[in-house]
Parts: sequence; structure tokens; C-alpha cells
Amino acid sequence: MKSNHSPSRRDFLRTAGLTAGFTLCPSSLALSRSSFSWTKKKPGSLVCIYLRGGADFLNMIVPYRDDAYHSARPTIGLRKEDGVVELDSKFGLHPGLSAWESLWKSKKLAPVVMVGSPHTTRSHFDAQDFMEFAAPGDRSVRTGWLNRYLAATQKKGASEFRAMALQKLLPRSLRGNYPVLAVPSSMEKKRGAKTLSRFEEFYGVGGGVMEGDESMMDRDGDVVVKSGKVTIETLRRYQDLLEKGKSSVKYPGGNFGKKLQSIAKVLKSGSGLEIVGLDYGGWDDHAGQGGVEGNHHTRLADLGNSLKLFCDDLGPVLDTTTILVMTEFGRTFRENGNSGTDHGHGGGMFVLGGGVRGGRIHGKWRSLTSDGLYQGRDLAVTTDFRDVLAEVLHGSLGFEPPKGFFPNYSPGHLNLY
Amino acid sequence: MEPLSRKERAIHLLNRFAYGPRPEDLDMLLEQGEKSWLEEQLSSAPEPNRALTAQLKELETLDLTPHECFEYTEADQENDGSEEARRKVRERQNIPRQQLSQALVRRAVEKERQLEEVLCDFWRNHLNVSFTKGNQARILISDYERTVVRRHTLGNFEDMLMASAEHPAMLHYLDNHLSRKPPTEQELRDVERRVRRRTGSRSQGEEAATIAGQKGLNENYAREIMELHTLGVDNYYKQKDVIALAEALTGWTFSGGSRGTHAFEFRKDMHDFGDKRLLGKIFKEDKEHPQAQGLAMVQMLARHKGTAAFVSMKLARFFVADVPPPSLVKRLTKAYKKTKGNIPSIIQSLVASEEFWSREHYRAKFKTPYEFVMSAFRALNVDISDFSKVHRALMDMGQPIYHCDDPTGYYDTAESWLDPGVMALRWEFALGLAGGKVKGIEIPPNYYDSLPQEVPRLWQHYLTEHIVPSGAGKRTRNALSTITNQYLAKARVPDSRVLGPELVGLLLGSPEFQQQ
Repeated sequence: MKSNHSPSRRDFLRTAGLTAGFTLCPSSLALSRSSFSWTKKKPGSLVCIYLRGGADFLNMIVPYRDDAYHSARPTIGLRKEDGVVELDSKFGLHPGLSAWESLWKSKKLAPVVMVGSPHTTRSHFDAQDFMEFAAPGDRSVRTGWLNRYLAATQKKGASEFRAMALQKLLPRSLRGNYPVLAVPSSMEKKRGAKTLSRFEEFYGVGGGVMEGDESMMDRDGDVVVKSGKVTIETLRRYQDLLEKGKSSVKYPGGNFGKKLQSIAKVLKSGSGLEIVGLDYGGWDDHAGQGGVEGNHHTRLADLGNSLKLFCDDLGPVLDTTTILVMTEFGRTFRENGNSGTDHGHGGGMFVLGGGVRGGRIHGKWRSLTSDGLYQGRDLAVTTDFRDVLAEVLHGSLGFEPPKGFFPNYSPGHLNLY
Repeated sequence: MEPLSRKERAIHLLNRFAYGPRPEDLDMLLEQGEKSWLEEQLSSAPEPNRALTAQLKELETLDLTPHECFEYTEADQENDGSEEARRKVRERQNIPRQQLSQALVRRAVEKERQLEEVLCDFWRNHLNVSFTKGNQARILISDYERTVVRRHTLGNFEDMLMASAEHPAMLHYLDNHLSRKPPTEQELRDVERRVRRRTGSRSQGEEAATIAGQKGLNENYAREIMELHTLGVDNYYKQKDVIALAEALTGWTFSGGSRGTHAFEFRKDMHDFGDKRLLGKIFKEDKEHPQAQGLAMVQMLARHKGTAAFVSMKLARFFVADVPPPSLVKRLTKAYKKTKGNIPSIIQSLVASEEFWSREHYRAKFKTPYEFVMSAFRALNVDISDFSKVHRALMDMGQPIYHCDDPTGYYDTAESWLDPGVMALRWEFALGLAGGKVKGIEIPPNYYDSLPQEVPRLWQHYLTEHIVPSGAGKRTRNALSTITNQYLAKARVPDSRVLGPELVGLLLGSPEFQQQ
């Protein structure tokens, strides 16, 4: 296991104006810098939405005319008359995602079928780790794929606000050497701004370093003060962008929509934000998943409507933005006795946005027969999820992952862009 | 640099060997004397806080074995598949975890023997296991805390390591319970043929063989023993050593599932027999006692000089400084080797060192979120009636107890916790706690009674003395004065129960309080 947090974080503190007299360890720097030193070729942004719990993609990109599908899912299966949005002769969208019909028609929506991990685990914990560290089965990798991108493309003097997660804790994909701002939701409210003001005098915001102050004598103390200062300044900047930003649509009331609204404001401000991580929890539908009605539908409608409004809100900024919707694994082909599904294998992904080769289904489909299913019970994996990640990094940010960026991986081709 | 004064030394002890001072602790320590305080901290006599001991007895799952814990969580469960029934099942399954977390918080806040608690936290992270592993972790970890961590925390590291290696919680967390002798080519071909005949499908036969092939040696635990528990990353060992140790540990599993005993089990049918070579030393196969080979290996690792140095470095980092002085690490390593990893002896050697007391390290260590929260509770003498709020606060700040996904355990260095944005969470917690906004965690109403009610300008100084007895810097003093002035300008009759909480919230969020 590599030491997790050392030099580039210090390096960041240094470039962010926090020179505290640290010595940098050259060997690890070499790892984060020279082996993957790439310049970004393209201004773009990537919004990565993670559906926690293993979302049932088979009921999102639905093979609605497939008899095997309907006999395996007699109560939760979806038919045309249920309001499935027909994409082509084979696949349709769950009615909860009907807001995406126009995105499909304008070729901005690219569903990928039967995508997943080459590793066979059915544990949420392992599968999420493997996917977000983008290293299936390799526990020695402990940095997220998005963080590795940030570290590989970091430049002195660049915006220190390249990436953020709108939640208290960073998703694993954003953890690692490169410091990423985690924004607790309270910081989006007035109360958050008040909290920051209360502490600004303590952390020297707006004032210089006080000479002869005994609390500043040790250099670690210094780092705390300066980290507090950076916290206040970056969060202020974020709050400022929110305040100045305008929404051109009205978002639904839920938490997810509110967060997308904030993200849209920051993206539209042109402040150079490249990566946003956002979790959407609750997709572990062992019971009460349902078909046209049920928990899965409720969440899909929120996801679908909110993201559609987000795209509308972005306007022309959508041309340089990619939205990636992913999950750790798909679920069982057959429904269980509780109107739900259990942990499976192959799943799916949605790639949405400008520049995407949308309006067509990507990935190879395998028939839903006992021969085509994985272990006779789950959807197969015909596309390694890293194929999607690699093409998204390239297509949205102009970053071509060098060899070794995804350990033990041989690239496949999808032509998503 | 000037040596620490008597008061500063006492503060230093309370910061590093305790979760910070409670309001009365500093005076008591000064009266009792350093030496006698330390002796008491390292003593194995029963905990003096009897009331606490009695209250912990009421948490009925704390002392259960994994099997008893399993039976406890499964008892009275009728699962008819309804949402209500499932919710009840989940609630009951969560009780052991909640009680464990409650017990650990209470001990950290209320115990007199603070050093034992601080050390337990160190070992808990050194030999990390986690509820986030899911499945059976929920019935295994209370026992792990009791029989691995707590039992040996004032004993020998070797015993603790050996106990962890045979504990279901560790074997489960690092997947060793699944590790087995890999199938031979012939066995794989047999599987393929069997499945192909049964299903009549060639691809299913191949798939079955692939799956069988994946069920084999699991190197995870063997690697972490050397990398994280004993030698340190890439010290002395190579990949071939990882494999040798993993092979020796095949069959170290536990009897799980709903019919299992949930106890350690050595499974001969999973074990990979044969001589092994670890770090250049041959370990002979023992047909009579096949587990002995692995035991001897783990024991050798515990006694290895690399382990002495690695564990000593981590202890020095934890107790003294993020980048510990090499001279101190050397000193502790010597003590480790001399006493075969006797933990109190290493602590004594630490206290006897100059480095521990050097001004350079005085209040120079950044508190982890856990240390921050526990020390805030102690400084304010809080009453906790709802422990789920504590769990939530630790969760928000990223350090709930026994929930660290990574086998590294939670980090104890500043750079791991100083991400931009992190301080904002501490400030919110500080203002919420002081302002009485966290229902279930309350500052006693008489907390502000000891302030000189007639002289509001002195309140900030009294409170600073309680909360940051090492003193506040000029900027913090100025900031507190600003708040005091603003308050006095508008309050007709100054009330310590109004201004007091404001000052306390700011003190808890001050740079000084983040340091220990």
C-alpha cells in the first residue's frame, strides 16, 4: 500500500500559498508527477453521479420486448403499455426516466449496456472500492480514479478549485493525494456563511500573519491556521458563485435537485471547475423495488427529472460537460419474492452531455438465456467499466489515461465520443 | 528552547495520555504529581470510576462472544418479509454496534485511566477491523475489542497480534476465512466437465471453472500482517514471502453462517500443506499440528527487529510528532526488543525521553476528529443521553469508531485530516454543541456558574483557562474580545449563559483547540 496522503498534499498547501517550510519527498512526487504528467487539452467538466447500492439497470435500459425478461420479472417487468420510452426496437427507458426522451432525440444521451467489473464480487464494499479506485481486485490501489486524474494534470498556479464533492465526505473516486473540497450542505445556506464569518478573525482571513504571536510559533500550528484560512476562502468563493449564479429552470424540491442546481451555477460561472462528485444513495432494492410504481420508480423520476432540468439549466455549457451515471453492479436477472432484486453482476451506465455520440445504445448485448447470463442468474459483463471511464476522461477533459493509470487493464473501444 | 514548566508538563500529559483535561483535571494532576499519576495510568488495577463500570454493565451485548452475539441479534425475530419486520431485524442487528460505540465513547470521556483508552484507540487503528465490511462484522467486533485490543493493550504486542490472527473479526475483515489451497489444473478440468455435462452448455462449464479458479489463495491478510501490522511496507519482505505466509495461513477461518459456532476454526481441507520459507527461514510442515507452522511465522514476525522499529515509529508518531525524531524511535525500538514488545515498558521509555518533553512538540500535534470530539466533551463536562448523536458527529467528520474501510486504520497525522472544507465541519460542531443545538449532548447548566458574574470582560479568560489551559494566542484573544465587546454593547444585563456559550463555541473552533 502506498502512503496515502503525503507529498502532493503538502505541495498543494505550498502552491496555495501555504509555504510552511516542508521538505518534499522526491520519490513519491515522481510517482504522482512524471509518470503521468499530462496537460489538459480541452476545457471541459465531468459530473460523476454514483448510484449507491447497486442500481437495477435492467429496469432502466429495459429490453421491453424480450420474453425472457418478462418471464423472469413477472411483477416488476416493464412493457410498452406501462409507458416505457421506446429508444429502438429492443430497448426502452423506464417511464421514470421519460424526461430523457428529448435528450435521446437530440443525441445527448448514450446508454451503455452490460457494463461492469471483471471482478466477481457481490459485496457493495468491495465492488465500490474496486470501481472507484478503478482497480478491480487490487487492494493496493487506494486512490480514486478522479483524484489520479487531478494529480496527473496538476499545474502550479492553477485554480485550487478544480474539483469538489457536494457532501461531507469525499466519494472514494475523489480520495487521494490531490486535495478536493468537500462541501457540507449546511455551507450552502446562510448559516454556513455565518459560521465562516465567526471564525475569520481566528484564522487571519483578511489580515496578515501577526508578528510575535506566541500561538504561531510552531509550524504545525501554522498549518492549522492556514488550512482554516483556505477553508474560509474557498467556501466563500463557492458561496459567492452560488449567490451570483442564476438558474434558468426550476428544480424539484429534493436534495439531489438542489445540489445539481448549485453545481450548475458553478459550472456556468466559468470558474474552471473540472470535476464534481455526487452520490445518490438508496438503490439496494431487495424489497419493494416495484415496476411502474414503487421505490425504484420514485428515485428514477427524481434522477431523471432533476438531470434533465440540469441539462436545460446548463444551456450551452452542456456542450463542454459530461454527466456520468454509474453504480457498482447490476442486480439479479430474476425478481425475488419481495418485489425486488438481489446483488448481481453486469449493470449499465449513462453518459450524457455535449460531444457524446448519443441517440444509440452502446456496448454489446448478450441474450437473456441461461447461456447468455452470468452464472445463470445475472447479466453478463461485456464491457469493462474502465473502458467507459477512459473514454469519458478523454472525451470530456481531453485526458488520455496513460498506461498504468488503470492498473492491469487492457483498453477496449466503445466510441462514446 | 526553554524546558516545559511544571504546569506545561501536566498539560502535555493530559493532552497526549488523555483526551484532554476536564475542568478539574489539571489542578488534580498538579497536586498528585506526575509520577504517581503516570503509575496510576499504567496500573492494571480496576478502574476507579466505579459508577462508569456499573453503567457499562447495563450494555448487555458488550461482553458477549460472537456466537452469543449472533444468538442475541437473531432472537425473537419473526421475518414475514414485511417492511416493518425487516426494519425490526435491522434494528436488533445494530444493537451490538451501537452499544460498543457507546461504551467506547463513555470510556474515552469518563474513565480515570485515560491512557488505557488512548492506547486502545492506537491499537484499534493499528490492527484495524471495520463494521463497514458488512455481513458478520456486526457480531464479531465487540468480542474483538474485548479479547484482542483491550485485553492486551497494557500487555505485550506479540500476544495482541497472535490474538488478532485467530480472531474471526480479523480473518473476516481481511478475507482470510476464504483463503484456501488453490485448485489444481486437474481439479479445474473436473469442475468444467461436470458442469458441462449437467447443463449441456460449454460456456457454463468454462465459467464454472473460472469461478473455481478464483477461489483459492487470498493474499490479503498475509500482506497486511507484514505491511501494516508488523514490518511496515516493503520492509524485509517480498512478494514470495507474502505468498508463503498466505499459504501457511490457508484454513485459518471461522465457523460462520446461521448454523456456525462463530469461533475460530482451523480447516485442514482448506490448508495448503508443505514446508514454507518466510524471510529466508524454513518452516517445516507439521502433520500433527498443521496450524503450528502459521503460528510460528506470526510469532517470528512479532519478534522481528523490523516490527520493533515499525511499531515504535508508529507509537512515537502517535504520541509525540507527525515526523517523530529518529533518536526517539531508536530508543523505543530498544525498549521493544528488550521487553519483547511490552507496551507499558515502551510507554515508560517514552516518558523517560527528552524528546517527549521537548517544547518543539508541546501542543504541536493536530487532533484527529475523534480526539477533537472527545476532548470537547471532556472540556465541557457534557452529559450525553443520545449516543447516536456522537456517532453522527464522528461520521460527519469522517472518523466513526470501528468504521474505517481501509486496513490502514484511521491516520493520526495532520495532513490526513486537513483537507479544505474539513475545518468548517469542526466549526459547525463547535457552535452547535456550545449553543445547545445538539439534543442529547448537553453542557451542564451550572457550567457557567464559576465565572465571575460581575466582570463579563473576564469570562473569556476563565473559559480559555478551562478549555485551552495552554493559553490562547493574540489573534484568538482579540477575536474573543471582539465578540465580548459586541455582546456588551447590546446587552443591558450581561448574562454568562448567553455570552458564555458563544465564547465556548469559538474556543472549541479556535486553532489552539485543534492542537494537543
